[in-house]
This record gives sequence, C-alpha cells and structure tokens, in this order.
Amino acid sequence: MILSDLLGSEVVDAAGHHLGALIDVRLEISGAPHQLLAETVVVGILVSPHSRTSTWGFERRGANAPAIIARPQHWLHRGMFLIAWTDVAQIDEGRVTLRDGYERRDPVLASTAHPH
Amino acid sequence: MRRIFAVALGILTAIGGFVDIGDLVTNAIVGSRFGLGLAWVVLVGVVGICVYAQMSGRVAAVSGRATFEIIRERLGPRAGLANLGASFLINLLTVTAEIGGVALSLQLATSVDPLLWVPVAAFGVWIVIWRARFKLLENVTGLLGLTLIVFAVALFMLSPDWGSLAGQALQPGPPADEQMSTYWFYAIALFGAAMTPYEVFFFSSGAIEEKWTEKDLATSRANVLVGFPLGGVLSIAIAGCAAVVLLPASIDVTSLSQVVLPVAEAGGKLALSFAIVGILAATFGAALETTLSSGYTLAQYFGWSWGKFRRPAKAARFHLAMIICIFVAMAILATGVDPILVTEYSVVFSAVALPLTYLPILIIANDREYMGDKVNGRAMNLIGSVYLVVILVAAIAAIPLLIVTGAGS
Repeated sequence: MILSDLLGSEVVDAAGHHLGALIDVRLEISGAPHQLLAETVVVGILVSPHSRTSTWGFERRGANAPAIIARPQHWLHRGMFLIAWTDVAQIDEGRVTLRDGYERRDPVLASTAHPH
Repeated sequence: MRRIFAVALGILTAIGGFVDIGDLVTNAIVGSRFGLGLAWVVLVGVVGICVYAQMSGRVAAVSGRATFEIIRERLGPRAGLANLGASFLINLLTVTAEIGGVALSLQLATSVDPLLWVPVAAFGVWIVIWRARFKLLENVTGLLGLTLIVFAVALFMLSPDWGSLAGQALQPGPPADEQMSTYWFYAIALFGAAMTPYEVFFFSSGAIEEKWTEKDLATSRANVLVGFPLGGVLSIAIAGCAAVVLLPASIDVTSLSQVVLPVAEAGGKLALSFAIVGILAATFGAALETTLSSGYTLAQYFGWSWGKFRRPAKAARFHLAMIICIFVAMAILATGVDPILVTEYSVVFSAVALPLTYLPILIIANDREYMGDKVNGRAMNLIGSVYLVVILVAAIAAIPLLIVTGAGS
C-alpha cells in the first residue's frame, strides 16, 4: 500500500457513519535504527469533516501567517482530528473504518524545529 | 570593494534582465494606444516582482530548496503535477516568444526574414546553455541589455510635452476611442509582462546555482530592490517613446520595427543600433532564462539532478528536457506564427499562471520549519497578502477579458 491509496479516503466509524475524509497520515521516525535514519512509523491519520483538500502545512501549532491564507485554511479544516493508527480497524479501497471506541485526538502538530 | 562590485554588477544585470520581449512589445503597444495611461500598472508590477523575488530568493537561500521542490512537497504530487503542467506550458510559450524575439531583433539588424533566423537563435540558446557558465551568461546578457537605456535617452531627445505625459500617467483611464474592457485587458497584459513567473523560477534556482546562503540575502535584496525598479523605469520609457511618436500618428505596433521607430526618429542610426543590441541582448538573455526555467521546473518536480553547476553528463535529463523545449519552440515558430502575437498571448497567460507559484512561496516564506527566524515579518505579509489578492483578481479576469476584447483588438 502506498500513501496515495489512503489520501482522500472516506473515514467511517464502526457503525458505518461518515466522519470525514482522510487528508494526511502522521509519521514518526522512531522505528528500528538504521545506519542513517530510523524506520518510519505511522502514528495516525488526520481526518477532516468538511474538506478533502490538503492543509498546506497549516495544521501545525503557530502556523497562522499570513492570515489571508491561514484563516480560510483553519475554517476549511475546522473540527479536524487525529486518529491513532491503533484505532483503525479496516482499510478498503477509498474507505477507512475505525474501531469501536476510537478516540479523537488533538490534530495540532507541535512544531519542534527552531524553538523560540 | 569586491562586495560593492558584486552588488553593482547584480543591480546592473537585474536592470537589463528585467526587460524581455514581453515588456518590449506590451509597453510599446500600450504606449501607442493609451499613452502613459497604464504606467501605474508597471509600478504595481515592479513592486509585485520585488516582493515575489525577495520571498523566493530568501526561501531558496535559507532552505536550499527551489520553487518546484517546495510546490510538490507542499501541494502533494497530484495538485503539484497540475501546477507544473500549467506553469510549464506557459513557460514554454514564453520560450517561444523569446526565441522569436531574438529572430526579430536579428531581422532588424540584417533585414533577413526572421524565419531564417529562428534556427540560428535556437542553436545559440542551446550552445550557451550547454557550454557557458551560469554567472557568465547572466552577466553578459544583463549588461548588454543595459543599452536599452537608449529608450530613456530617446524620450528626452524627443523633447515631449512633459506636462501632458504626466497628465496621462496621473489620470489613468482609456482615451475616448478605446473601450474600458480593452484598457483593463492591457492592464493585465502589462502586469503579466512585469511579473512573469519564469523570472522567479530563474531567480530562486539561480540562488541555488550560485550556492547562496543567508549571508547573501543582503546582496540579493539590493539587486532586487534597486535593479527591478530601474528596469521598470526602462519599461515606462519604452511606453513613453511610443506615446510621443506612435500615438499621435496612430501607428499600430505589429512588429519590432515600430517599437524602435521612436528611437530612430530621436537619435538616428546610432541610437537605433544601441536599441537593436539592447533588444537582442534582452531577448537572448530571456530566452536563456526561460529555457533554463523549463528545465528547472521539470527537474525539480521529478527529482532529477539539475543545475548548470553540474556537467551536462551529470544532469542529462535536465539538459535533454531543455533541448526538447527548444525544438518545440522552433517547431511552433516554423509554422510562421507571428512572434509578436505569441508574445501578447504569453504575457496574458503569465498573469493567469502566477497564483500557482506565488501562493506556495508565500506559504513557505511563513514556515518556521524551513525558514527559522527568517520567516516573513508583518509588513512583508501585509504586502504579500495584498499582492495575493491582486494576482488572483488578475488571473481570474484575464481569460474573460481576452475573449471579450478579442485579445485587445
């Protein structure tokens, strides 16, 4: 499976209710260490209830400039949430089903680079 | 001392590099039909290209990534590919216009049919891109392009009624015999000519070719903020010459010979030869820049190795792509299509394509993960946002106006 198979898929809960669209996959470089980089691990999926478009990077904490782009972006992706990969029950073509009792997590990615 | 020299050279090449076939033709047409009534658009365009080039130069220098690497990364492969397709095709149209411009300026010098000059011009562009070093090709064409100052000199020698020229510039609007829609169509064409997307692909990829770091940002800012406005002054001088000589005589600009007519009238053959050298250098320089830009955009999107700093064998696909582009441009010109017409369409479509590359640059210039503390400040974001609106409005209005006005006819 490649990322493009997942992006844009409909996300539904265990009962089949529509929750939104899968707009991004969050990764973490924390797997088995190799010579240069550790293996990449899928942490979770980002689900947006109102839009299937990319967030253009505006899901990160503090990404709110310039307002003319950031405001519409935040509005477009209002109510976005993160689902842990462990809460994903099944992946079919164009459709991702979550487990019963899945947890909606905070989607905002804490920016780690260049702390100020 | 070396630093001052570097800044001066950069400014001079920016002045010469600002003007290309699009600016020459569009300014002359506009001057011959509206006088200086659209000079304000050049001002808007120059400030816009300064903002845009300053941001993309900073992004390239700080992040080490060129425009299309960023576009693909931020928009994703599919939206990125659509963006690449549109930007690339419009750039290819500009390559065609510039190579046609080289052929037309050689025709001015020799009276040999431009169709016969097209293969020569195309070969010249290819051999220079293949062999010459980046710095050399940028500086030689930029400096020779400075002979276009003859348009400003000619304007003074024509001793025009400055009051009426200033009146045209300060009271914008179409003359009685022109439609409002035509006026706005040419406003967008002039805006597209001043703010051509290739200038920015070339500028940001050039930053990587020349291995800019944060230390070079001051030099680049000086080049942009001094060089481009002076280039804009040259543009207005071209329009001014047309306003003084062509407008009262109701002469339409249909070829380069009308563009240089006021110069010949003011300064005779000597001035004319300066103008021809300037036009040849400006169009040849722009042909190099646009051809390189087509290679840059493709290579950056697809992740090929690219750059003049590599030997051609080490960047084979980059060079092959440019060779194919030159052949396509030659094929289009070989149909006998008028290069002036290609130019007129290319500047309008440039305005259409502009948001595609402007928006991602504006986003990345605000991204701390790339830029650290070199992100846009408040003032830069304010003006950047104003221009986002201007660019969007121009892009959306361009094609309807093109249709309504029958391309300004």
